Amino acid sequence: MGSEVESFADGWDAGDLGCGELIVELRSRLKALAPGERFELIAHDPGVREDLPAWCRLTGHRLDRSEPPRYIIISREDP
Amino acid sequence: MGSFCVSITSAKNDPDKATVGFVVANAAVGSDQDTMVFLSTEGVWLAKKGYADDIEEDGFAPLRDLLASFIEAGGKVYVCSPCCKKRSIDETDLIEGATIVGGAKLVEWLANGSPCVTY
Repeated sequence: MGSEVESFADGWDAGDLGCGELIVELRSRLKALAPGERFELIAHDPGVREDLPAWCRLTGHRLDRSEPPRYIIISREDP
Repeated sequence: MGSFCVSITSAKNDPDKATVGFVVANAAVGSDQDTMVFLSTEGVWLAKKGYADDIEEDGFAPLRDLLASFIEAGGKVYVCSPCCKKRSIDETDLIEGATIVGGAKLVEWLANGSPCVTY
């Protein structure tokens, strides 16, 4: 009956960071994950809503959930 | 359908470029191209409500009409997020149909093979 507690391999509160500055830092943080691990990103920049799906399509990471400012990313097979 | 990108980096600092950018964008969307206008640096002002209303270059349609026809035809207006932030423009200031994005959106569009012309 209890609610499931979500677990993440890592997470990052990017604050108001966005655009290229966020992307390059996110890349290095995802690189540290094993394939299939889950990452929680908090990002308040309004551009992230469009950017993150685009970035995931480009890189092969999977955007599991988009609930701005919270995003759940699943690391690709070859991080 | 092919895709096309028009990057506009000018506003009232060079209304000629801003206008011609949207003329070309209308030509692209009118030619059945999936078209995005990417507004960055000074160009982001063009997406602010009311800003473009008095830009009327000789020999061209008023910019407000070019913007409206582009959006009505299905063109996308993407606005650089950090460029807006620098100028204290937020989402509530933008015209309907304009979307704040970061660089990854532009990179994806061009990485898929879209040509791009900059004004």
